[in-house]
Amino acid sequence: MTLKENALTWFTQRANSWLTKRIPAANSHTLSNRNIFILPTPFGIAYLSFVLLLFLLGTNYQNNIILLLSYLLASFFITVMMHSFLNFSKLKITVPVNQQHQLGYAGQPLYFPLIISAVKKHYHVNFQLKSLPPQLNFDDRKASLACCEKGDNSRQLLIIGQQRGEYSLGRVTIYSEYSFGLFKSWSQLDFAQHVTLYPKPKRIVSKQYALLNDKTEQGESISLRGNRGIDDFSELKHFVRGESKARTAWKQLAKGQGHFTKHYQENHGGLLWLKLSDMPAENIETQLSYLTFLVNELTRTEQVFGLQLNSSHSEILPNSGSSHQQRCLQALARF
Amino acid sequence: MSLFSFSTNKKVIATKPKIAHFSLSTQNSWLLWCCQCINIALISAELSSWMLAIIALSFVWQALLLNKNATSHKLSSDKKNSQSKKKPDHHISPVFLGFFAIAGCLAITLSAQGLGVLLSMVHLLSFAYALKAFELKSRRDFYQLFLLGLFLVAAALIFKQDLSFALIAMVALVVNLAVLLQFFSRAQAVSNTLKTVLLLLGQSMFLAAVLFIVFPRLSPFWQVPQANSATTGLSDTVQPGDIAKLAQSSELAFRVNFSQGNIPTYSQLYWRAMVLEDYDGRAWSRTAPDPATVSHDNYQLEAINKRLFMPNTFKESEKLNYQIITEPSFQHWLFALAPATSKDNSLLLLPDYTIQSRKLLSQAKGYHLDSYLNSPLEVNIAQERKAQNLALPARSNPRLVQLAQQLAQQYPDSEQRAQAVLTQIREQQYFYTLEPPRLLNNSLDQFFFDTKAGFCEHYASAFTFIMRASGVPARLVTGYLGGEYNNLSSDGTTNRSNEAQGAQQGHLSIYQSDAHAWSEIWVEGKGWLRVDPTAAVDPMRVNSGFSTQLQQQQLALNNNLLSFNHLKKFAWLNELRLRFDALDYQWTRWVLGYSNDKQRDLLQQLLGKVQAWKVALIIIGAMAISIALVFGVMLLINHQKKQKRALSPWLVLYQKALLILANNGLEKPVNVTPQKFLLILKIKYPELSLAFARVNASFTRLNYQELTREEQKKEFKKLQQHYKNFIKATKKI
Repeated sequence: MTLKENALTWFTQRANSWLTKRIPAANSHTLSNRNIFILPTPFGIAYLSFVLLLFLLGTNYQNNIILLLSYLLASFFITVMMHSFLNFSKLKITVPVNQQHQLGYAGQPLYFPLIISAVKKHYHVNFQLKSLPPQLNFDDRKASLACCEKGDNSRQLLIIGQQRGEYSLGRVTIYSEYSFGLFKSWSQLDFAQHVTLYPKPKRIVSKQYALLNDKTEQGESISLRGNRGIDDFSELKHFVRGESKARTAWKQLAKGQGHFTKHYQENHGGLLWLKLSDMPAENIETQLSYLTFLVNELTRTEQVFGLQLNSSHSEILPNSGSSHQQRCLQALARF
Repeated sequence: MSLFSFSTNKKVIATKPKIAHFSLSTQNSWLLWCCQCINIALISAELSSWMLAIIALSFVWQALLLNKNATSHKLSSDKKNSQSKKKPDHHISPVFLGFFAIAGCLAITLSAQGLGVLLSMVHLLSFAYALKAFELKSRRDFYQLFLLGLFLVAAALIFKQDLSFALIAMVALVVNLAVLLQFFSRAQAVSNTLKTVLLLLGQSMFLAAVLFIVFPRLSPFWQVPQANSATTGLSDTVQPGDIAKLAQSSELAFRVNFSQGNIPTYSQLYWRAMVLEDYDGRAWSRTAPDPATVSHDNYQLEAINKRLFMPNTFKESEKLNYQIITEPSFQHWLFALAPATSKDNSLLLLPDYTIQSRKLLSQAKGYHLDSYLNSPLEVNIAQERKAQNLALPARSNPRLVQLAQQLAQQYPDSEQRAQAVLTQIREQQYFYTLEPPRLLNNSLDQFFFDTKAGFCEHYASAFTFIMRASGVPARLVTGYLGGEYNNLSSDGTTNRSNEAQGAQQGHLSIYQSDAHAWSEIWVEGKGWLRVDPTAAVDPMRVNSGFSTQLQQQQLALNNNLLSFNHLKKFAWLNELRLRFDALDYQWTRWVLGYSNDKQRDLLQQLLGKVQAWKVALIIIGAMAISIALVFGVMLLINHQKKQKRALSPWLVLYQKALLILANNGLEKPVNVTPQKFLLILKIKYPELSLAFARVNASFTRLNYQELTREEQKKEFKKLQQHYKNFIKATKKI
């Protein structure tokens, strides 16, 4: 690493720590002189050099009107700076607390909603994610407001990540080039947004997996579908909307005892373990993708299963239900 | 000249891959188009007609493209066929555009010889500006176009600076900025955009004015090509008919401000511009400056000046001090009431009592002169100068020569001889006319004996010719006569107080229509005497400038509707014209005439010793004030909006009702809801509670429910009725 790079990283670190102190993370920020930065754009600098050119022209021709024009344009530059500040300040941006953390699969679009509350009209408000980790990408076309009306406006940051994992979105850059593109008013707000990306589910053919299972010494196998008939009946539960009519306990219903559904248990009696090492692929990512698919599939069919990744201490004990699914998926994402 | 290289850069820009998609809204495209037209119109006076034609063509083309784009855009949005993602924009092929650009540049280069450096640059700039609009492919192109447009406005100001033009340029500036603003606030209506731009410019004015006054003015860094526009005003050769042509123009020539306020009588206002001593039988022209006497060597000139304008020959009591501000004429000639002196170094005082500017008059120029109207001119002249002013070409105008010899015998005294010629002009049927009949070979014989109709230069040249032929040194002088007095240029208060003292305030405006020619004869012991033969044929012209016959002619000949001769017909229009003239005069005097010297004087008055840090302090202070101004205006606007909201009519009524109750000893605490308050009221004033409950209900509906306009009106009427009943009820207590 060269000295220059060292200095650069040191500088960015300092800048980041300064930013964290100045603009700490919160789910809601109001733009004010505390968190707004204003800098001239390249066009602003071109404009200033143009004003200088006019000054030279006026001086060389000893032309008072051209001089006056150059002074007016220079003074206009300062006025525009303040107007771009005024246009930008007092804007309140909120991320709903329950939306700060988003869950999803790799390759699936994720939306982070932003609620922009304004007490007056604001123009040309844009959102950008600059410190986004490279695994995520941000569709910057959609997060801009040409005109932000009084009241609440909402925009979404669309993120598509290709690689599983847990990421923090970093700071959201909000900027505006109103009024004349001479200045860029911007702020970097930390909404503590983060995202957990599960591996992309990859379909595994059940027979293929069953075959694989036969070879294993434990002799455990799973049944994905079709062999439910031989499962042991375990209990009756109250009907929950959405459950299949096929499982209705008609006898009880006919007796007028209420609407129950029959539930079955695995006939193997043993616990169903999903193991990373069982997955029929060389690539670890593919294996994880298979596991994701299986976790979803088993949850859908309401089976009890456990998840065992490469070592025994990173295992999740068998259970069922959506919170169990979440735990499993998170473990897969983190792996 | 990097600014002019856009046209050559085009291909580079076009081939660059564009990441961001760039497009202007239809509204903005049209605004840009209008803005471009305005910018080109500003500078159109300097462009040659072929260039204007090319630019007009490209604008029409642009308009057609815009129209096509707009309709196709509408079609595609009507159909809503999202499957075709290709843009409906119509573009000209870059090859064709490039060819067009090269052809245009070639044409400009070819004509550069005739145009001069500055004008060819202006041509190139305008051409690039017109073509640039065809290729707005990125935001950068748009910005470049904007800056080019502003530069064009500035370039137009090189050529013209009067108030009306400056105002038009200001309008152009506003439109230019509006185009840019519209880009960043697309949803806004154009009128709102213009309002915002005006607000911003208004807020910038203060700092701009302070900068203009105190920011150090520098001398030119390098030599720049000067504008060589067509010269205006008098020329240094005069043929019969020239001045008559000039006199049809109602353009301003110069303005005069008499410092003591006592303006000489009209017939004394002979503004001398040029002395023409050479006559070749057809035209009068200026003697080529004799290098021995008029060289640009300062020492020699000063020697001449000292000899000619010996201060001790002038009576100090007769001194007439005045300031002249000339319009740009693109010549060197200045104007003076002879004999005049000045200490101004930028002036050349010539031995024939005329004054030249050392620099070409490409801008308004102000200078101070002291004149001594009754002093003689050049009492002693050299023999060769005398001979020069007697010289006549052989065999020209034989009939005049014959007349001259006859008069010479009759009147041995030269002044009497001159008077005899004037008498003849006065007594015979001579006409004073702006449309003199054409003379064959500019024959003065033909004029004097046959046509007998002419303008001042006819009479002056014929008179001078006769005097020379009869042996009296004589010469032709051109300049202006009189001027229009405008007392509106001083503000009301000082005007009145000065009038009380009997002094006149205001200024004289001298127009091209006041152009005049007269003669001077040299008389032993008296020097050069002014003789104006025009006085003999049309005394009104010389005494008051008011000649009905002449004015009617001017009116008929001048087809410019805005010329002041037309405006003079209506009193209020004339008043308006004079007011604008007064404003323009102040503009010229204070803004255009603000020079390094004036700045130094002003700063010395303000600061005592001028030091850089003091100036810097002023500028920083002005900046702070203008920043405060912006925030102040913003606060004010917000405050007004809030007040407007607070003062809804129903709230006023409700508050009034509460006030009445408060006066009766029942105040509504802020934290008590209206319903609770009603209960309290019921206990204390049961007879009022029903009336107030109605007021309360109506008010609640109006204030808290979303009603349509109609409903609001109805409800408000109800509230008013309830309020009246409530008042009645309170009176019963």
